Amino acid sequence: MKAHGVVGLVLGAALLASGCGGGAATGGQTEIRFIWWGNDDRAKVTNEAVRLFESRNANIKVSTSFQNFQNYFEKLSTEIAGGNAPDVIQMDYRYLNEYAGRNVLLDLTPHVGKEIRTTDWDQGFIGSGKLRGKQVAMPLAQNSTTIVYDPKLFSAAGVKAPEIGWTWADYREAAAKIQASTGGKVAGSTDFGGTEDVFETWLRQRGKALYTDEGKLGYTKDDLKAFWQLSKDFRDAKATTPAELVTTLNAGAEQTPLGKKLSASEHSYDSLYGGYNTVRPDELKLGPYPSDSKEVLGSYRKPSQLISASARTKHKEAAVKLIDFLLNDPDAGKILGANRGLPANLKIREAVAQNLSGANKVIFEYQKSVDAKLGDAPAAPPKGDGTIYKLMQRKHEEIVFGKKTIDQALDEFWRDAEEALK
Amino acid sequence: MKRAVVFVLCLAALGLVLYPIVWLISASLTPVEDLVANLRSLFPGRITADGYAGALEGAGGESFWTFLGNSTIVASGAVIGNVVSCSLAAYAFARLRFRLSGPLFAFALVTIMLPAHVTLIPQYVVFQRLEMIDTFVPLILPKLLATDAFFVFLMVQFMRGIPHELDEAARIDGCGPIRTYRYVVLPLSRPAMVTTAIFTFIWTWNDFFSQLIYLSSTENYTIPMGLRLFIDQTSSSSYGPMFAMSVLSLVPIGLFFLAFQRFLVAGVATTGLKG
Amino acid sequence: MPYLFLGPWLLGAIGLTVAPMVVSLYLSFTDYDLFNEPQWVGLDNYAKLFGDDPRYLHSVGVTLRYVAWSVPSKLLLALAVALLLNALRGKGQAFFRSAFYAPSLLGASVGLALAWRAIFDTWVDTPDHALVTIVLLSAWQFGAPMVIFLAGLQQIPRDLFDAAAVDGAGWWRRLWSITLPMLSPVLFFNLVLETIHAFQAFTQAFVVSGGRGGPADSTLFYTLYLYERGFTEFRMGYASAMAWVLLVAIALITAVLFRTSRYWVFYGDER
Repeated sequence: MKAHGVVGLVLGAALLASGCGGGAATGGQTEIRFIWWGNDDRAKVTNEAVRLFESRNANIKVSTSFQNFQNYFEKLSTEIAGGNAPDVIQMDYRYLNEYAGRNVLLDLTPHVGKEIRTTDWDQGFIGSGKLRGKQVAMPLAQNSTTIVYDPKLFSAAGVKAPEIGWTWADYREAAAKIQASTGGKVAGSTDFGGTEDVFETWLRQRGKALYTDEGKLGYTKDDLKAFWQLSKDFRDAKATTPAELVTTLNAGAEQTPLGKKLSASEHSYDSLYGGYNTVRPDELKLGPYPSDSKEVLGSYRKPSQLISASARTKHKEAAVKLIDFLLNDPDAGKILGANRGLPANLKIREAVAQNLSGANKVIFEYQKSVDAKLGDAPAAPPKGDGTIYKLMQRKHEEIVFGKKTIDQALDEFWRDAEEALK
Repeated sequence: MKRAVVFVLCLAALGLVLYPIVWLISASLTPVEDLVANLRSLFPGRITADGYAGALEGAGGESFWTFLGNSTIVASGAVIGNVVSCSLAAYAFARLRFRLSGPLFAFALVTIMLPAHVTLIPQYVVFQRLEMIDTFVPLILPKLLATDAFFVFLMVQFMRGIPHELDEAARIDGCGPIRTYRYVVLPLSRPAMVTTAIFTFIWTWNDFFSQLIYLSSTENYTIPMGLRLFIDQTSSSSYGPMFAMSVLSLVPIGLFFLAFQRFLVAGVATTGLKG
Repeated sequence: MPYLFLGPWLLGAIGLTVAPMVVSLYLSFTDYDLFNEPQWVGLDNYAKLFGDDPRYLHSVGVTLRYVAWSVPSKLLLALAVALLLNALRGKGQAFFRSAFYAPSLLGASVGLALAWRAIFDTWVDTPDHALVTIVLLSAWQFGAPMVIFLAGLQQIPRDLFDAAAVDGAGWWRRLWSITLPMLSPVLFFNLVLETIHAFQAFTQAFVVSGGRGGPADSTLFYTLYLYERGFTEFRMGYASAMAWVLLVAIALITAVLFRTSRYWVFYGDER
């Protein structure tokens, strides 16, 4: 027994210590691995673009793999930890720092503006892939926060549809009227008090941010208290969803109260409109967030996805080449279309806008309508934001279900949030 | 009369137990717009086979049949591995006397008590070093090496139920441990073997996490992985094909169970223990 | 000679089980973020678990409640149905056996999670009821212990019952005096394994709550919290410490069960 234990220890430690990079080079051929998350439609266009890339670069072979969002990150973390990191990695804004902050993403700074062309880009948008002066990712496409709503219910209740200039009080009154007009069967809005994305947009309207440049909380206890109070005002006015519907929000658009026809309007991202549209075809519209500030809408040009290379890639050149191709090649742009959101390259965005239909058309039109009001993206959230995101949801649930008062929840939130940012 | 009572009881229990499955089948035939808004109605107004068409077409450029083939290879390999390796180990623990029998058996049990999530990465590193990522080996090899101590324990419990007189009779007839295993213990443990085969097949078929970790190319994906390609919370999901594939994936494991379950009854009682 | 039979198992245990287990034990004394070298922190992780992590203690409570409810209900259901099926000899048995096993064919998949939501509606999303729905889900999938009970029932020599019938023993009496004692090795097996599984319950809760253990942490199972710490917060050292505490707890409970088994489990090989 003892001998076996020692053997195991040595074997295990040896295996763990010696990380090993993937990718084999045979006969002048470079093989790189590119992974992303998404659905089947995205797989079709992405694979087509990758095949075009291979036909133009005969010496590079790209093997691809995709999962859905949740499974993607489970697999990615295991692969990187196991020393088998993919060469080119689709990245999420919220996860960017979790990975880059642990030095697993390649610093692309020396390549930006060179191998990775940026002449046709909104220069402010490039910064959304930057952390502490290093370009650890390039934004692939853009999305923004939005209110998705059911125009029929709005007009049936005789209230105005969301438009730039409407306030949170306007929203609450409209939502209360809608809820009353349906006899309480359909909520006027979906409770937003546990969603960090809404809190962020609301904070920005008040000239604040989720995080400071140093990665600390960018707001005070009073800010969060006011926000939770705002959500409570909606509940008190019978203008929002009941407690047991608050918890279903982490799912896809199809499983949210609005997707299930239990709510008339919902905070979301415009890029999720396609999901809403599959369950409620042509029934829903996109509108701007309410804001108490005349100048600031709070929404910003958020990278819906980014693209990175592994810091341990053995084929940096090929990886960078693929990244540039996906971002800037006009033919690739044509194939990929608006699948990931508004393309980052403005020329390609324009070309894509020419022939749009269905959900993508709605998204583009919404973006155009708010474009003048959109701000630049802040630096990606710090490590620990993933924890805080869930923490906010959880504490809000405890408030909504009457397990905690706002003040109790606030104290606990603060303690745990600061712990998460350590 | 008594039989009728039992029969009625069974039927009543059955209705309750099968309801969620009926719901699943009904959902697979419902257009997704109707389903989401009216989750609880069992019989949709409209019926569509679109989900099944989408499921058969597959995802990620691979058809349902690819996923089915891969799942079948993995599950069959696991069944063979578990039945052979676990019965060998169980025989040693249950019927042979040796010094470390107790401690080793206790250790075998301890290996099932550690949550798999924390051994996942070290295990991944082992297979990564052996260059076996994106093959079926990491999914089958552990079964050939009896790492599912659950089944070792299961077989031990059954083998201990076989009267010792039989071993002694075999020994008097000149059988060594290998022939005793082969001709006495193995035939008498058939229910346990069949149980192992059935559980291994079904559990491997449904196991998602290790398949997700070890398989990368879409052409190597199994059914549980294919299923999840239809659902993505950040874009749009295809619920119809997802439900349809869920139902379709039940067919092979259902058939496997049906084919093997009759051996469950053919145990000691009919193989002539006393005869 | 025994080691010839144990060969494959020993090889697998050492190469694929012991080594990763030892590594995880080592990691439990470190700060390990998956991507960088682990940093030795001694007993810090363990100290934090019991001293400074209310959510951890909460998850222990949730798990204990789950084990206490789900294990007996699943086993009783499985035993009752197995006895029922055993009483129903002939053609009907094969049909009913398959039908009762059907729920266990479904792994914890997205489809099943949606079915559960459809059936229990807002219960799944209410803190006071969410755990109940997961207990029901686990009890509903009683096929595995049922099949094991059935296999055990098949192994009971028929002549024992014949003799009892001659003595005029009724159904209850035969159950108490013959069936249950003869079934005790199998009952013991099911009890031990279902207890271990319940402590490690993960997939059902993960699928039903969308991986969050919600609402308001009401279904935050031990392993769910462990997973969150390890894979979404990248604190694998902490997660490993949690895993080893669980291992010790399960081992102790199993040891107690084995101790008690001397008084109520009867093996055919005992003379």
